[in-house]
Amino acid sequence: MIAARRAGRSALIAGALTSTLVLAACGSTADTAGGTAGAGGVITDVGVTDTTITLGIMGDTSGVFKNLGAGLNAGNQLWADDVNAAGGICGRQIEIEVVDHGYKADVAKTLYPQLEPNVLGMVQLLGSPVLAALEPNLIEDNMLAAPASWSSEVLDNPGIMMIGTTYDLEIINGLAYLQQQGLLADGDTIGHIYIDGEYGGNGLKGSQYYAQQHGLTINEAKVTSTDNDLTGIVTGMRGAGVKVIVLTTTPGQTASALAANQALGLNVPVLGNNPTFDPALLETPAAGALGNLYVSASNAPFSSPNPKAVEVTTRYKEAYPDSPLNAGVTTGYTEGVVWQNVLEAACEAGDLSRAGVKTALTTLTEVDSEGLVDVLDYSSPGAPPTRGVYIAQVDATAEGGLREVAPLFTSPEGESYVAPFQES
Amino acid sequence: MNTFLQLLVNGLGKGAVYALLALGFVIIFKATEVVNFAHGSLVLIGGYLVYELKDALGWAGAAVVGIVAAALSALAIERLLLRNATSADHNSLALLTIGIDVIITEEVVRRVGADIPFIGDPYDSQPIRIGDLTIFRTQAIALVVGAVLITAFLLAFRYSNWGVAMRAQAENREAAALMGIRSSRVTATAWLVAGALAGVAVLFMATQDFSGAGLGRGTHAIALIAFPAAILGGLDSTEGAVVGGLVVGLTEALSAQYISFEFSKSAVFLVMLVVLVIRPSGLFGTKELSRV
Repeated sequence: MIAARRAGRSALIAGALTSTLVLAACGSTADTAGGTAGAGGVITDVGVTDTTITLGIMGDTSGVFKNLGAGLNAGNQLWADDVNAAGGICGRQIEIEVVDHGYKADVAKTLYPQLEPNVLGMVQLLGSPVLAALEPNLIEDNMLAAPASWSSEVLDNPGIMMIGTTYDLEIINGLAYLQQQGLLADGDTIGHIYIDGEYGGNGLKGSQYYAQQHGLTINEAKVTSTDNDLTGIVTGMRGAGVKVIVLTTTPGQTASALAANQALGLNVPVLGNNPTFDPALLETPAAGALGNLYVSASNAPFSSPNPKAVEVTTRYKEAYPDSPLNAGVTTGYTEGVVWQNVLEAACEAGDLSRAGVKTALTTLTEVDSEGLVDVLDYSSPGAPPTRGVYIAQVDATAEGGLREVAPLFTSPEGESYVAPFQES
Repeated sequence: MNTFLQLLVNGLGKGAVYALLALGFVIIFKATEVVNFAHGSLVLIGGYLVYELKDALGWAGAAVVGIVAAALSALAIERLLLRNATSADHNSLALLTIGIDVIITEEVVRRVGADIPFIGDPYDSQPIRIGDLTIFRTQAIALVVGAVLITAFLLAFRYSNWGVAMRAQAENREAAALMGIRSSRVTATAWLVAGALAGVAVLFMATQDFSGAGLGRGTHAIALIAFPAAILGGLDSTEGAVVGGLVVGLTEALSAQYISFEFSKSAVFLVMLVVLVIRPSGLFGTKELSRV
């Protein structure tokens, strides 16, 4: 029903755009809501001039994800620098306007109206709660946004440009990897600790699907983001005989679960979604217990031997010598690469308006980031654009704290999984 | 059975820290009949100084400074703010402490920023394994320190001049004053002792073992969980504070496992309500008697 309403709205916008174009073709030079013809005969509306394309970042450089946020922002900027050095896109230079919401949805809600009139779209929108709060605005403003959050529950909005795969698929592939390594067997019991809300719920969907395929029993524990001590939960899981613990949690909670896993003598492998790990955890008292953590993420870890990842991270270390090393850098760069593909397709179609870039996204079937993430296909509405993940294990000696243990792969279970809004 | 024993150990360890905090509430209440809602901020002051100074002074030196600073801060609150308002209603003074608490907490949280530092360096994340049982070193030390401090306090309370004076003041403030007991000194000492206990408690609270989080709003929230411990033990009973602390620790640990993790947060308050319905003055509190 929602999808139908949105489709109706898109049709309405497309109609309005068409009539504006007809008026423009009749000799009007007015700057109308549907866009004006700019340099090179390309239609533009918000955030695009004859010389620049401005994209926005709604990031976090002061809140709980400030380390990750700084990495993401730097990755975005490195991409923009590369594009600009190569002459820009559509004859225009890329500019990025940054706001910091500190991972607070209410702050983001206040900052959005200041940023929105200046930008074509969002090269980075950090945080599930922020995305949830801003979703009506994004729809109303016809904004294309690359979220730095990975829930498949938001894919009903065609303005969401998912970079990589989603939390459910991270877990499915991660469990498949552990089983392949002989760390998990059909019929076993696993524990899953997840945060109440979209992030946790989406991760749990992955466990539930995999459990169904392999006859696993799930010992579920729901927490809120402010529950820091998970010792009691892990004690219970030890009693239930879990063979693997899955986490869809904050980094602090990850540390608590792993510390308890070791302290209680349980020592089972722990699988986490991509936001569960922050290299800053290696500075906490739990550092010695983190070795059991496997992180499943669609983006290459900071220390990945992938040549493109090496190129990006080397440049990052030169440009930002004292900044934290984390996977945000490659993720941020990938966000830029996908935007680049969108902008080039939109330019070719002669429409750099907001509606134009959204349409351009749906024409992309093979976005290649040279292995920073798997090849992305945006042509199936509601489906994650890829299903592949890297698996990395915590290793204090590796840059960014993670060592790649499995290159990009998709498990058979990951291939067969149907995401919530996927049209099967 | 192993799980049950493990939860018992976890719960008792946490209970020891809750007892230290609850005792702080009770001492101040006994001496002044004021409920000190600023107790959580005293915890943060102590913890913050340990975090700031441990590199320069070493952990032990910083811990001593933290405990002394928490004690002196408590004294300062009493001397500078409450003492001048002796004629004010006790409820107004309790509200005043809420204001103090908000100001101090926000300032400490602002200073700490997004660091959330851990301050239990000598013992944190060094579990002791005995067979299938894991004893978290932080909790074990908290239990021992708690037992020593609480015993020392209870002995002092019973046998020292200050203890006798404080009990006299708690019984009847005017009569005690007429007998030559200096109310001002008794009150000041009560705040000092309560502040010091808060300074000790935080050394165990901002650890991976105890809370899974460093110093921050979470530490403050834990300090407030000690409030139901004091209430259900009986707000004017020192023994009650100790029992209340242990009851809260065990209730949290056991209800999270045998009912649900979500329920464990309300379980403590539910136990408090049940106790208050059956015994309105708490388990060990003095019954209010009034002639009609």
